Amino acid sequence: MVSSRNSGDLLTICLEGRIDSTNASAVEQQIRSLIAGQNITHFLIDIQNLCYISSAGLRILLHLIKNYPTMQLINANSDIYEVLEMTGFTEIITVRKTYREISIEGCEEIGRGSNGIIYRVNQDTVVKVYIHSDALKDILHEREVARLALILGIPTAISYDVVRVNDHYGSVFEMLNARSFSDILIKEPDKIDWCVQEYVHLMKTLHSTVVPKGKLPDMKKTVLSWASFLQEHLPQEAGQKLVRLVEEVPDSDCMLHGDYHTKNIVVQKDEILLIDMDTLSVGHPIFEFGSIFNAFVGFHELNQENVKHFQGFDFDLSTRFFHKVLAAYLNTDDEQKIQSLYDKAALIGYTRLIRRGIRRSESKTEQGRKELAYRTERLLTLLSQTDTLTI
Amino acid sequence: MTIQQIKEGPKLTIVIDGRLDTTSAPQLEAVVKEQLTGIDDLTFDLEKMTYISSAGLRVLLSAQKMMNRQGAMRLTHVNEMNQEIFNVTGFSDIMTIV
Repeated sequence: MVSSRNSGDLLTICLEGRIDSTNASAVEQQIRSLIAGQNITHFLIDIQNLCYISSAGLRILLHLIKNYPTMQLINANSDIYEVLEMTGFTEIITVRKTYREISIEGCEEIGRGSNGIIYRVNQDTVVKVYIHSDALKDILHEREVARLALILGIPTAISYDVVRVNDHYGSVFEMLNARSFSDILIKEPDKIDWCVQEYVHLMKTLHSTVVPKGKLPDMKKTVLSWASFLQEHLPQEAGQKLVRLVEEVPDSDCMLHGDYHTKNIVVQKDEILLIDMDTLSVGHPIFEFGSIFNAFVGFHELNQENVKHFQGFDFDLSTRFFHKVLAAYLNTDDEQKIQSLYDKAALIGYTRLIRRGIRRSESKTEQGRKELAYRTERLLTLLSQTDTLTI
Repeated sequence: MTIQQIKEGPKLTIVIDGRLDTTSAPQLEAVVKEQLTGIDDLTFDLEKMTYISSAGLRVLLSAQKMMNRQGAMRLTHVNEMNQEIFNVTGFSDIMTIV
């Protein structure tokens, strides 16, 4: 009747068969003991194999919703969905229908990413089939935030549907005939100023888009967790200063992309679109610059060939592009002002990279040790020179 | 795609016939930009709209933003396929579909 499965940190409770007055309270107890054992507040209830639910069954769902307002029902077949819709449940919690099965037999493979393969389904649509069979949580997250961004007026492509492809999840997107800014910079480097201008324009649109409270994670909290992590790895005074500097950054409800580099900005006809929305957050723009610094400079400083693998262009172009972006964002050619923003971005960038290096035990290799030492030294220098992270 | 406009004083109905995609969205965008002055009641008749892409959705969104300031906007004759798209994109929460 009641079983459960865990994927990553997500608990899914599966209900089977009939839930009516004869077993409703037993089912509720079983569900509650499953949740209590896990110490969590968010979980899914998979009702794919639920064939009947009476009003007594609906009442136990109501009890659960009161305690766990973020729980979701998934894989509802159309009969059950209709019951939930008629009784108003679909308005108080998220109920997801069972996913449509599609076949990719004979479909052209048009791209391959780190987490999935993209097939062309028809003239208008592609499906991204995720490699990990438990990718559902990530898919739904990206879909939700992309949809939020679109509604708030950010030009992005959104997923129209989540489907099942064999035993994997897939996300259906519209077909884009688009070129990334990275591709343009590689093939038409003389367009760099146009790219910079459009890149900054879109970034400013993003940074002036106010997100309703609670819809996206707060980047300041994330960066603060990096800074706190580093405290025990830095001299006491420097560690404390790092935390204080991040704490002092003003709170903001404005949208940040979180991975705003030139592969994630694409042009289709005359339209510029932002893609890869899974890292959306809210916060002060300086945090965006921290991740941009890493994408163009921080990751590659001691391994400059790296940027070629990642972006396709060389380190020189990468650093020039970043410099131009800073100048355009500040609307200045005052080198001192540009350097000041560069340093603040670098300070946040190094904080993230050092934490990442320690957590991944990168000091096991010589290259990793060199990078950690270099980044730590740079961070300490920047900390000694910086009194505020605000732009 | 073809666009037909039916105007009665401050009331405007825009009838979309065909695919509202990246190619045709700019055409509708131009109509929205140029024809909404003085309009307080805007209807999009979508009975014959066979496809809508995110570019098309964005034009509807910008029309909605303008009409929020100057009157009302609704979508009519939305077929099942388009309704599904408005549902998954969250448009059905922010637009009036009748």
